[in-house]
Amino acid sequence: MNDDRHTTCTASAGGPSRRRLLALGASAGALAWLGPQAGWMAQALAATPPAKPTGQVVIGLSQEPTVFHPLLVHIEVDEAVYFNLFSALWRVDPKGNFVPDLVSEIPTVENGGFSADGLHWRIKLKPGVKWHDGTPFTAEDVKYNIELIQNPKFLAGRKAGHELVRDITVVSPTELTWRMDKPYAPYPAILSWTFFVPKHIFEKEADPNKPAFVNKPVGTGPFTWVERIPGDHITLAAYPAYHGGGPYLERLVIKYVPDLTVLYTQFQTGDIDYIGLQGITPDHYEEAKALADRVVTPVPQAFIENIGLNLGKPVFKDLAVREALYWAMDKKSIIEQIYYGLPTPTESYLPMQSWAYNPDLPKQSYDPEKAKKILDDAGWKPGSDGIREKNGVRLEFTNSTTAGNHVREQAQQLLQQNWAEIGAKMTISNLPPAVMWGDYWMMSKFDSAMVGIDFMVGPDPDATDFFASKSIGAKGGGGQNTCQYESPEVDACLAEGASTVDQAKRKAAYLKMQQLTRQDLPYLPIFQYAMVQGVKSKLQGFAPDVSVQENCYNANTWYWA
Amino acid sequence: MASFLLNRLIQSVILLALVSVIGFAVLHLAPGGPLSQFALIPGMTQEQLAHIAHEMGLDRPLPLQYWEWVSRLVTGDWGHSYRDNQPVLAIISGRLPATFELMLTAIALAVLLGVTVGVLGAVRRGSIFDSLATVGAMVALSIPTFWFGLIVIYIFAVKLGWLPAGSRSTVGDGSFSDYFRHLIAPAVVLALVEVAIWSRYMRGAMLDVISQDFIRTARAKGLSEKSVMLRHAFRNALLPMIELAGLELPTLLGGALVTETVFTWPGMGRLFLDSLGYRDYPVVMGILMVSAVLVLIGSLFADILSAAADPRIRL
Amino acid sequence: MSSATVAAAVLPNRRLAGTSPRSRAWGRFKRHRLAMFGSGVILVLVFAVIFGPMILPFDPLHIDLRHRFAPPPGNGHLFGTDQLGRDLLVRLLMAGRISLTIGFMAMVVSTLIGTSVGVTAGYYGGLVGTVLMRIVDAVLCFPSVFLLLALAAFIKPSILTITLIIAATGWMEVARVVQAQIKALRHRDFILAAEMLGASGRYVMTRELLPNAAGPIIVAATLTVARAILAEAYVSFLGYGIQAPTASWGNMLNNAQQYLNSAPWLAIFPGLMITLAVTSFNFIGDGLRDALDARMDLT
Repeated sequence: MNDDRHTTCTASAGGPSRRRLLALGASAGALAWLGPQAGWMAQALAATPPAKPTGQVVIGLSQEPTVFHPLLVHIEVDEAVYFNLFSALWRVDPKGNFVPDLVSEIPTVENGGFSADGLHWRIKLKPGVKWHDGTPFTAEDVKYNIELIQNPKFLAGRKAGHELVRDITVVSPTELTWRMDKPYAPYPAILSWTFFVPKHIFEKEADPNKPAFVNKPVGTGPFTWVERIPGDHITLAAYPAYHGGGPYLERLVIKYVPDLTVLYTQFQTGDIDYIGLQGITPDHYEEAKALADRVVTPVPQAFIENIGLNLGKPVFKDLAVREALYWAMDKKSIIEQIYYGLPTPTESYLPMQSWAYNPDLPKQSYDPEKAKKILDDAGWKPGSDGIREKNGVRLEFTNSTTAGNHVREQAQQLLQQNWAEIGAKMTISNLPPAVMWGDYWMMSKFDSAMVGIDFMVGPDPDATDFFASKSIGAKGGGGQNTCQYESPEVDACLAEGASTVDQAKRKAAYLKMQQLTRQDLPYLPIFQYAMVQGVKSKLQGFAPDVSVQENCYNANTWYWA
Repeated sequence: MASFLLNRLIQSVILLALVSVIGFAVLHLAPGGPLSQFALIPGMTQEQLAHIAHEMGLDRPLPLQYWEWVSRLVTGDWGHSYRDNQPVLAIISGRLPATFELMLTAIALAVLLGVTVGVLGAVRRGSIFDSLATVGAMVALSIPTFWFGLIVIYIFAVKLGWLPAGSRSTVGDGSFSDYFRHLIAPAVVLALVEVAIWSRYMRGAMLDVISQDFIRTARAKGLSEKSVMLRHAFRNALLPMIELAGLELPTLLGGALVTETVFTWPGMGRLFLDSLGYRDYPVVMGILMVSAVLVLIGSLFADILSAAADPRIRL
Repeated sequence: MSSATVAAAVLPNRRLAGTSPRSRAWGRFKRHRLAMFGSGVILVLVFAVIFGPMILPFDPLHIDLRHRFAPPPGNGHLFGTDQLGRDLLVRLLMAGRISLTIGFMAMVVSTLIGTSVGVTAGYYGGLVGTVLMRIVDAVLCFPSVFLLLALAAFIKPSILTITLIIAATGWMEVARVVQAQIKALRHRDFILAAEMLGASGRYVMTRELLPNAAGPIIVAATLTVARAILAEAYVSFLGYGIQAPTASWGNMLNNAQQYLNSAPWLAIFPGLMITLAVTSFNFIGDGLRDALDARMDLT
C-alpha cells in the first residue's frame, strides 16, 4: 500500500492554465521533476497512517477557486480542488513518467495501447471505480468527456489535442479505443490533467456551460464535496471508496486568504497547516524558516521570469538593443537581493528539470560596458538628454506587469536604473490584471513586459503557443506569441518536436530551439522560480512536487503524526 | 405622510435608475474585461475567446446589454457571475451577513462610545476632556483606515498574538468565542471613524439643545443639573442622531470595503474588490445596486424620522 | 473619506465678536488654536517638501541594494532606508510633493465642478436644478471608495489622472453646500434688485451670488484637500495608484504593507505623514468655518 501510494499518488498534473497565475502577479506551484525533498520524505515514512480517516488539514491559498467543472474554462487555482475531487486517466510522477490513475495500465506500444505511428489508442480502465454518488465509472464516461470537450458549444478550457480524437469506441465498460487524426506528442501529457465529470449527471443538464453540477460536484477523487462558503473556504470530506491510496484525513479545507501577508501570519499563528499556490513571500523566508514545528522549503517551479520584448515595436526590432539590454541587466542583484537568492538564474525558457533543458547556453553576466559598446557599434548614439537614438527612434520604452506585485516592481525599478546607465529610458507602466492580460498582452500592445511564464504544455516541453510564427495574436494567430517573434528555424524545430514520438529526435529539436531563442532574445530570461512552501512538520505524506502548482495534489496520502 | 412617502419612493426609483446607468457605463467602458482571465490559458485562441465573449453576451451593443440586464433585474434575475456562474443575488446575499455583522458591531461601538464622549464633551464644554475629545476626533477622522488596521494587526496579532490577523472564524471552530475574537479588531478599526463622527454630532446636538429655552426653564424650575442633562437635553439631542445613522451608511459601506480588505473579511466589500479585479460585471453591478438601495433606505429612514419629528416637513 | 467633511461640518461654531467682517473673521481664525496649529504644520510641510530634497544629500530614486532596510536612524539615514536602499526621509518629502499636489489640484478641480453645478442648480432651480441635484444624489449613492475604484479602472495612473478621478468623486459635497447657499440667497433683496436692473443670469451668478457664498466654498475646499490626500492613499493602497519609482504617501504605504513585521518604519512614517497633513487641513477647515461663518456676516 505504501509503495503503491508513492508511485500512484505522488503523481501530479500540471494545469493548463498554470502560467496564468504567475502572470497575474501571483506565483504558483511547482514542478516536480525534482522529486520530494529528502527531509520531507524521511518524515513521510516515519509514521503510519491511521486506520480510518481522522483529522483535518487547512490549505491556505491566496486566490479563490470558483470553477468546479474541471473541463470548463478555468484558472489554475481551481485545480487545487480538482486534484482532490476528480481523477484523470493517468498522472505524471516526479521523474516525468506517467503513472496510472483511472487506467489499469499506461498504454504503450508494447502492451498494445498505442499503434507504432501513435494514431490508434486503446485505453484499459481500472474495474470497480465508483463516482461519489455510487454510480460505476465506465468507459462511457471517458467517451462522454472527450466528446463534451469537442462540442463546439462547450466552453472547454483546452481543446488542443482533444480535437484530433476520432471514432471513440467503447469496447467494454473498462475498455475503449480511438483514432488520432494526426500524431500529436503532447497529448498524453494533456490527458494527465484532463479530469473527468460523470456522464449520468451531465446528461440531465440543460446547458453544459452552466451546469447545476457545480453546486455539488461529483467526482471519483479521494475527497467528496461538502460545502463552499464563497469568499472564505471549501470543505471536502474523505471518500472511503476511493480507488487509490488513502485518504487518511477526515476533512480537507481549502481556505482563501486574499492577502499574502495575512496568509503568512495565519500560517505563523497555526490557523493554516499548509501554504500553497504563491507560498510564502521571499522576504518572509528567513523568518519562516525559524518558526517552530514548521517545515519551510523553496520548491523549484516551471515558471521562467523574463522580460518579454515586443518585436513589433521599432525600438526592439534591432537585435543589438535586445542584446545590450540583456548585458546591462543586473541579474545577480535581482536574484540575490530582491528575491533573497531563492530562484535560479537561467538562459532558457525551459525549467532545468525538464528532459529537454539545454544546459550549454551562453551565460549572461552584468556588463554595462559591453552593452554600451554593442549600442555604439550598432549606431545608437546618445541624444542631448543622454537617451540613445538611431534613425529617429529613441531607446525609450515602457515596461508593464500586473499592478500590485511589489517584489516584481522592485526588480523593475532596479532594471530601470540598470538601463538608464546605458542610455535606455524605461518607464514603468503597471496595469490591473484585467487590463494587463487582455488585449494589451494578447494583441501585443505593450512595449515590454515583466512576466513569469510556464512555456511548457504541462510536463511537455512543446512551446508552440509562445514561439511559433502562426501563434501571433496581433497577426491573426491563435497563440500567445505576444512578442511577435518570427523565425522559420524555430518554426521548423517546433513542428519537428510535436509531430514525432521519438524522444531523442524531440530532444534534439528542442535543444536547438533553446539556442535560437537565447540568440534572438525575444524574451530576456531572468530566472526560474522557486516558491517557498510551508507546512506543519507534523503533517505526514506531504511531498512537494514540481510538476504541479498545488502541492495538495496528493492530499489523499496526508495524515497527522 | 403617505404622499410624502410615495414621493420619496418615486425619487428613489429614479435615483436607482440613474445609479444603474452611471455604474453600467463606467464599468463597461473601462479598458480590460472579464476575458483577460482566460487569455493566458495555453492553447487559448482568439476564436475561442470570441466564442466565450458571445456566450457571455459581451459582443452585443452596450445599450442592448444594459437593457437586457435591467429588464431581467426588475424581474428579480440579477444575472450570473462570470467566475462561478452562481446567481448574483445568491452570491451577494451570501456575503451580506458578514458585512452586516461587521457594520452593526461597529455602529454599536460607535453609538455607545461616540454618544458618551459627545455628551460628556458637551456637558463639560471647554474642559480638558472636551479639548482632547475634539482633537482626538479630528485625528481619528484623518487616519487612513487601512493604515490603522495594519497597525492594529502589527501590534495585536503579530507582536502580542492576542487576536487573529484576519478572517471571520477559524475553520472547523464554529464557537461563539471564536467568531467574537475574529470580530474585535476589524470592528474596532471600522468603528474608529464612526466614533469620531458620532461624538462630534452628539456634542453639537447637545449644545444646541442646552441653549434652548426649555432647558433654561427646567433649570429655572430647580431641577438638578444631572436630571436636566439626562432627562431633557440628552433625550432631545438623540433624535438627530437617529437620522445620522441613516446618513452614515455610505461612509460605513466604504469603510467596510477597506476594513474587509485589510482583515480578509469575507464580506461584500471584499467581494466587490475581487469582482472588480476580474471585471465580473454582473456581480459588481449587483453590489453597486445593493449598496445604492441600502444608502437610499438609510436616507429615506432618516427623512421619515425627521418628518415624523417635525410636522412642518411635508415634501 | 467623506466622513472628514461630514464631521467637520458639525463641529461647533464659536461665535466671536469683531469689528469689520474681514478682521472679525481673521480674529476668529487666529483664536482658533487648532486651526493655527494646522496652518503652521501645513506651512512647514510645504516648505519641507519644496526645499528638503534639495538640502538632503540623497537621491530619492537611487537604488542601493547593499543598504536595504536600514532601520532609523542609521548611517545618516534619519528615517532609515526602504526596500531598495533609498533614503526614506527624502522619499517621504518627494512623496509629499506628489500627495500635496494631488490634494490641492483635486481640490481646485472639484471645487470648480461643485461650485458650477451648485450655483447653476441653486440659481435656476426648477427642472434644471432638480436634474442637477438628482445627479449629485445619484453619485452620492455610491460609497466613494467604490466609485474611486470603478473610475480607477479607466485610467493609466499618473498625477493628472489620479487627480481627476479624485476630483470626480469629490465635487458633490461642494455642489450641495453651494446649492443650499445660493438657494438661500436667491430671493434676497439685493439679487432681486440686480435682476430688476436687467443683470443677466450669468452676471448675477458670478458677480452677486458667488462672492456671497465664498465662505462655505472656502471651508468645503479646505476639507476637500484633506479628503483628496486620503483618497490618494486609498487608491494607492487598493493597487490603483501612482506608478513606481515616483513615490506618494499612499504608494509608499502600499509597498510597506508586506514589511510590516520586518521593517515597520516603512509603514509607520508615511501613515503618520498622511495623518498629520489630513488632520491639519481638517483643523484649518474647522477654523475657517468658525471664522467665515456666513450666517454671522450676512444676517
